[in-house]
Amino acid sequence: MIKVGIPRALLFYFYYPLWRAFFTELDIQVVVSPETNKRILDAGLRTALGEACLPVKLFFGHVLELSGKVDYLFVPRLISVEHKEYICPKFMGLSDMLRVRLANLPPIIDTALDVSGRRGLDWSHFFEKVGSIFTRDRHLIKRAYCSALEADKNFRRLLKSGLLPPEAMDAADGISEAAATSVASPGFLKIGLLGHPYNLYDSYISMNLIGKMRQMGASVVTPASVSDDLIDNQTKRLPKRLFWTLGKQMIGSALTFFENEKLDGVIYLTSFGCGPESLVGELVKRWAKHRGNPPFMMLTIDEHTGEAGLVTRLEAFIEMIKRRKKNEDHVPSYGQPVHCC
Amino acid sequence: MDLFLGIDVGSVSTNLVLLDAEGEPYVQPLYLRTQGQPIAVLQQGLALLEEQLSPRDRICGVGTTGSARFLAGVLVGADVIKNEITAHAVAALKIVPEVQTILEIGGQDSKIIILRDGIVVDFAMNTVCAAGTGSFLDQQAFRLNLSIEEFGEKALEATNPVRIAGRCTVFAESDMIHKQQMGHTLPDIIAGLCEALVRNYLNNVGKGLEILPPVVFQGGVAANLGMRAAFQKALQTEIIVPPYFNVMGAFGAALLAIDHAAEYGETKFRGFRVSEIQFQPRSFICKGCPNACEVVEIRQGKQVLARWGDRCGRWGITEQDSSQAGRSNLKSIS
Amino acid sequence: MRITYPHMGNLYIVVRALFTNLGLDLVLPPPTSRRTVELGVRYAPEFACFPLKLNLGNFLEAWELGADTILMAGGVGPCRFGYYAQVQKEILDELGKSMEMVVLEPPDVSWREVRDKIRCLVGDISWWRIFKAIRFAWYKARAVDTVEERVLFLRPRTYEPHRLEEYRRQALRRIDEASDKREMDEILRDFNNQCRALPLRSGPFLRVGFVGEIFTVLEPFANYDMERRLGLLGVEVTRSIYLSAWINEHLFGGLLRVKGMEHVDKLAAPYLNSFVGGHGQETVGSTVEFGKQGYDGVVHVAPFTCMPEIVAHSILPAVSKDYGIPTLTFYLDEQSGEAGIQTRLEAFVDLMAARREKRRKENL
Repeated sequence: MIKVGIPRALLFYFYYPLWRAFFTELDIQVVVSPETNKRILDAGLRTALGEACLPVKLFFGHVLELSGKVDYLFVPRLISVEHKEYICPKFMGLSDMLRVRLANLPPIIDTALDVSGRRGLDWSHFFEKVGSIFTRDRHLIKRAYCSALEADKNFRRLLKSGLLPPEAMDAADGISEAAATSVASPGFLKIGLLGHPYNLYDSYISMNLIGKMRQMGASVVTPASVSDDLIDNQTKRLPKRLFWTLGKQMIGSALTFFENEKLDGVIYLTSFGCGPESLVGELVKRWAKHRGNPPFMMLTIDEHTGEAGLVTRLEAFIEMIKRRKKNEDHVPSYGQPVHCC
Repeated sequence: MDLFLGIDVGSVSTNLVLLDAEGEPYVQPLYLRTQGQPIAVLQQGLALLEEQLSPRDRICGVGTTGSARFLAGVLVGADVIKNEITAHAVAALKIVPEVQTILEIGGQDSKIIILRDGIVVDFAMNTVCAAGTGSFLDQQAFRLNLSIEEFGEKALEATNPVRIAGRCTVFAESDMIHKQQMGHTLPDIIAGLCEALVRNYLNNVGKGLEILPPVVFQGGVAANLGMRAAFQKALQTEIIVPPYFNVMGAFGAALLAIDHAAEYGETKFRGFRVSEIQFQPRSFICKGCPNACEVVEIRQGKQVLARWGDRCGRWGITEQDSSQAGRSNLKSIS
Repeated sequence: MRITYPHMGNLYIVVRALFTNLGLDLVLPPPTSRRTVELGVRYAPEFACFPLKLNLGNFLEAWELGADTILMAGGVGPCRFGYYAQVQKEILDELGKSMEMVVLEPPDVSWREVRDKIRCLVGDISWWRIFKAIRFAWYKARAVDTVEERVLFLRPRTYEPHRLEEYRRQALRRIDEASDKREMDEILRDFNNQCRALPLRSGPFLRVGFVGEIFTVLEPFANYDMERRLGLLGVEVTRSIYLSAWINEHLFGGLLRVKGMEHVDKLAAPYLNSFVGGHGQETVGSTVEFGKQGYDGVVHVAPFTCMPEIVAHSILPAVSKDYGIPTLTFYLDEQSGEAGIQTRLEAFVDLMAARREKRRKENL
């Protein structure tokens, strides 16, 4: 049986169910790299360009983990997944960077997906091309594509119900329905957590931020539960249409969170060296400051980040919100908002 | 005897080397602390050298290198002004002609130079921070109440080096303190620190470079036995430390001066009297444009010897001289 | 309406010509200086790219001179440049230094947007006059490039670099002041005569291609005067892109038949088979081109954290290996140290010279 390796990094967190269903239907075994660990991080740091951002370095580590264990590596070149919008430059050149910097890799499938222009290469073209590498049976490819769409739809439905992507993936497999209840159980606090999925849900790199927040009695809402329509609506208010899909998700979610009165606070997790975030994060930070409410904190992580520092900041933020909540009645409505960062 | 002088003025040390025409050291090389006074220390060094010479000795060529190479070059009248990467490579090649990798760690910077068939094909300098350089090791030795020599020797007694997070000096230091508090032995901690610094160096400065033997390790930190051992362990190859490892820049500059003399003859050396001359350095802000460049000027009496620091070149009376240093490249590198 | 614009190398000469002929009130920011950097760095996001910081500094200095409107280029690609204006506006507003922002960029919906923007700027002027103003500005761009190319050629050759720099400054100043095409031809003639009188040394000279993110390539302040440094080290520098090519590409939508960047994208394809925003693909393609033309090396510059150039930099080792052309990358921002840059350039020049010498010996 042919094995295709999918690195557990970057766009994995958006599209894994879609991709997996497609390959499975073609009778191809999908191999996913293990969850990030020290070895994977070190391998990524060793091989990727020093100036690259942490998520890209991690991607290198995950690729190395799969190399030698699979027949193909699946690193699609996602240029644009929305009309007139783009993904990040580093994602576009990912497969080229891998080929230059890592020796002896299995063949890389880097079919392009680009719907930015009028005559774009959409998902159906994309899968047709990917499928044709393995079979000439176009009906089979079509069937695989349909089942991929089905899996994706199911995944998105679970996300909307409040599950986080890793939980939704498990739930779709029927592995753990228990996860779903953990989200639903109301925490004392409700906190919006902004950040790219590959940072938020990689618990090694985020130092299990979500778990820590839950332990501190907060239930966590992430951009995964904000619908695309809502994001589109929110970002319509921007002075200029934002043409970065991932950045748009952040801004749209941030605006949604800021308006959600049920949220007690918002945290934005960014990774050091993320280009778009240096601008998008700046805008979000400024808007949060103007609004004054809810309390807002920005956390930046990189490979040097110490766990102790992160915990201290998180605790301080949550403590502050708890105290504020307790004293809510005593605070005049025109009171000075409290800020971290 | 015909002699050639090599001078390396860096931020931490000022080194002077005198070679004979065969490229062998004629007197003991000098290693002096720059202490923020490059001119005074350079003059002091020249005076010390002169004392050891006989009347028949004659300086036939001078090369300068290091971050203050232009300053030094102007003061003494250098024939060759060369960057420290090239100077280090030339010196290492003289001692180990087949050298393929040079690891150089000095007081405040570090570099790696890759050579093939006797020519430099790639190089890198540390750009991020001073982690792993001499100053950091000095600091840690001081903190542990050890001389830097003892510090290096202690590392060799280690039985089980601890793993220290060494990607940044601040973190490395706090992690080290933490390990001490946990009760690890001193040798294990020092060896662990050396290994962390070596890892850090190879991952940052040496990233993406093909490190092949023979490997020469030079610069002040090469004195440290712990660091030598750590490199040996990480690279799994013999580490060659040349006899004058801490003055290799000056050594290389002197070798370049020998080559230069062979081709052009006549030296521009201004003589040892340079050590007695009063130089008046001053700096001023150029008001020619809003760049407000800080121009440095060196005078000897009324005569302006050199100026630099301007972006536009309008103050560049010695532009030509300094450019000459680079221009002779096509011929002078072997 | 008092309009300003951000500096990029000699672009001010072209902008001034255009504005004057359109009857617009231009407030030229002072040339980019350390003060510009300080202002920009103080108020810009820490990890924003260097050009954004420098632009912001320009705006703040222009505001002090009474500017109330900013004209700048934009874009709708993956590069951060496309969203500069919006972030800068937020910052200026918050500082209480609000200015109107007019961003010229490829239209999002239709060309009507561009037309409306131009109309809003220039008021009721005939299209013919607009055309003439643009054509005149274009001549100036070409004249500026003629001077720059000549200087790049002469720098390694002249014995009197400061005199050459003086001729260059003079010529650029006169081009800036020139009011018709005939005058410009005269200036170029004078400049050429001056240059011809300079005694020159004979070669061979090392040849280096200068590639990278466009702003950093074209703005000497951003690249720490790298072209001049290399020239003084005896190197003949060739830029991958010149001002007029940039103008054609960004403002005329590539309508003019000037040597642009399309052909280098094709050269990049075996290594980087997709555009990655900014000039990442062009950097790879230009390096291939310089490799094919037997250049001795390529110097690659980019702002610190520049995404497209990080992709390009990751890929350059492969080009370098295939074409035997060494490359040296600099990420530049306000923190870059001049001493380190100079040392690396000198060592790179030595490296290239040694390679050439070795090849020469092998051919004997």
